[in-house]
Amino acid sequence: MSVLTSGGFWAFVCVVAGIYTILALGLQLQFGFTGLLNFGQVAFMAIGAYTMAILVVKEGWSTWLAAPLGIVAAAVAGLLLGLPSLRLRADYFAIVTIAFSEIVRYVATNENALTGGSQGTIALGSVGQAAQYNGQWEHFQTRVQGWLHVSDSDVAMLVIVWTTAIVLLAIVWLAVRTRWGRVLRAIREDEEAAASLGKNVFAYKLQVLAIGSALAAIAGLFYAWEFSFFSPDDFQPLLTFFAWMIVILGGLGRVWAVPVGSLVFGFLFAGTRFLDFRPLSYLDSAERAYLRLIIIGLVIIGLVLLRPQGILGRRKEMVLE
Amino acid sequence: MSATLTVEDVVRTFGGVRAVDGASLVVEPGSITGLIGPNGAGKSTLFNCVSGFLRAQSGRVLLDGRRIDRSRAHRIARAGLVRTFQTPRTLTRMTVLENVLLARDAPTRAHELLRLVRLDGHAHELAGTLSGGQRKLLDLVRALMAEPRILLLDEPMAGVAPALRVELLEHILALRARDRVTLLIVEHDLDFVMRACDRVVVMNDGRVIAQGTPEEIRRDERVVDAYLGARH
Repeated sequence: MSVLTSGGFWAFVCVVAGIYTILALGLQLQFGFTGLLNFGQVAFMAIGAYTMAILVVKEGWSTWLAAPLGIVAAAVAGLLLGLPSLRLRADYFAIVTIAFSEIVRYVATNENALTGGSQGTIALGSVGQAAQYNGQWEHFQTRVQGWLHVSDSDVAMLVIVWTTAIVLLAIVWLAVRTRWGRVLRAIREDEEAAASLGKNVFAYKLQVLAIGSALAAIAGLFYAWEFSFFSPDDFQPLLTFFAWMIVILGGLGRVWAVPVGSLVFGFLFAGTRFLDFRPLSYLDSAERAYLRLIIIGLVIIGLVLLRPQGILGRRKEMVLE
Repeated sequence: MSATLTVEDVVRTFGGVRAVDGASLVVEPGSITGLIGPNGAGKSTLFNCVSGFLRAQSGRVLLDGRRIDRSRAHRIARAGLVRTFQTPRTLTRMTVLENVLLARDAPTRAHELLRLVRLDGHAHELAGTLSGGQRKLLDLVRALMAEPRILLLDEPMAGVAPALRVELLEHILALRARDRVTLLIVEHDLDFVMRACDRVVVMNDGRVIAQGTPEEIRRDERVVDAYLGARH
């Protein structure tokens, strides 16, 4: 159990929660504020991470050029997905997004020459050579570590990820308070009412899909840098649903509910890793891994039963029709 | 400010049903025109075709001589034709004030209009807490905030407390006098239509069967037939 008392482990849990925060923030903007049912958020995370890694390894780009381009690529992908599909009814749009995210994953798995295939980014370079895309990032992380005077590189990563997350949260928080944000909420409530007052509903939805995709790409970049390696398996639809759990746990239509939901979810997920005491220790580790998911599910069901509006949501809003 | 609306031979079918079957009418600038007809006459469908929420399969709709029948709803609204809905489309999880400001970001005017329909006391409450009649008034205020040149009201009196109806009528008349807004109103309350409107258009079976002043309409036998059945 010594890992429980290690600062590095909890710093790692917080880094992952910070990455989830950025991923789920996009979803909060899309669903919590605009009512867009996006079940394919993980695809944009993958597009951001892969674009960066491919440009760095194959094209020899600087990380500081490749990373913004990864974000742009995800936003453009969001626009291209939205153009034909955003005119569909909400439930059909949801089906298109989950199909899109699986298409992205299958392409990444099978386009060996482009993505390294199922072997992941390690196979991005030439045969027999383990490819690395995070040299410049690690250099930067070490410098941050120096500025902060900390010995643990996880702590440096924690500061970088959460600083970014808080800046992004603040930007979204300010944006939804503007007239633009008011139109988004109106679209969530009643598209036709918004259109009858001269609002171009389709254009607003397209903007929100692209912005949410860009946020997912930022999460994807941090994911790539945190783990130094990734493969298509890292972008299973499950990750999209983790983001959904976070948004629902935290509360819909609340910007600051996203980090709260992420931290609760992150600690639940990490905390249940330590179920190795009796009688649970009679189960083997594979069985315990499933038990962990069952326990998380039960805790989330319990929380949702007790607070259906989420931790920071407003119950009053739930009963209105 | 006021606009002219021209509808020419508009057809809209649903499956085999010809909901609007070659309707034509003219709404004169600055007029209050009532659109009446029995249930299923095609009034709401025609409203939807004119405001861009449904596409007419044939025929033309012109706003001040410019075609709008191929435009999307938000463009028509921006061109100055704003409509309300039969069942109010209140944005329930936004405040009453936010509902109004959505149309135009002018808080002073918003409060002024809310006071007019006695909703200013509720300005900061969630609109979902309003009664059906209050929601109807909120929808009207919201449409007015968009500063339309022509306003299409779908049964504005339905669900509004009788005591408020007279006031509402006065507001509508005052509005016309002040802003020279053209009004096209679908209403089942014939008493209201005959008192408030300068012109009345009668629809039956998807067609316009009569147009004229309230006096002319009252005497028109086709209208009496449509409402009471041809045997009378």
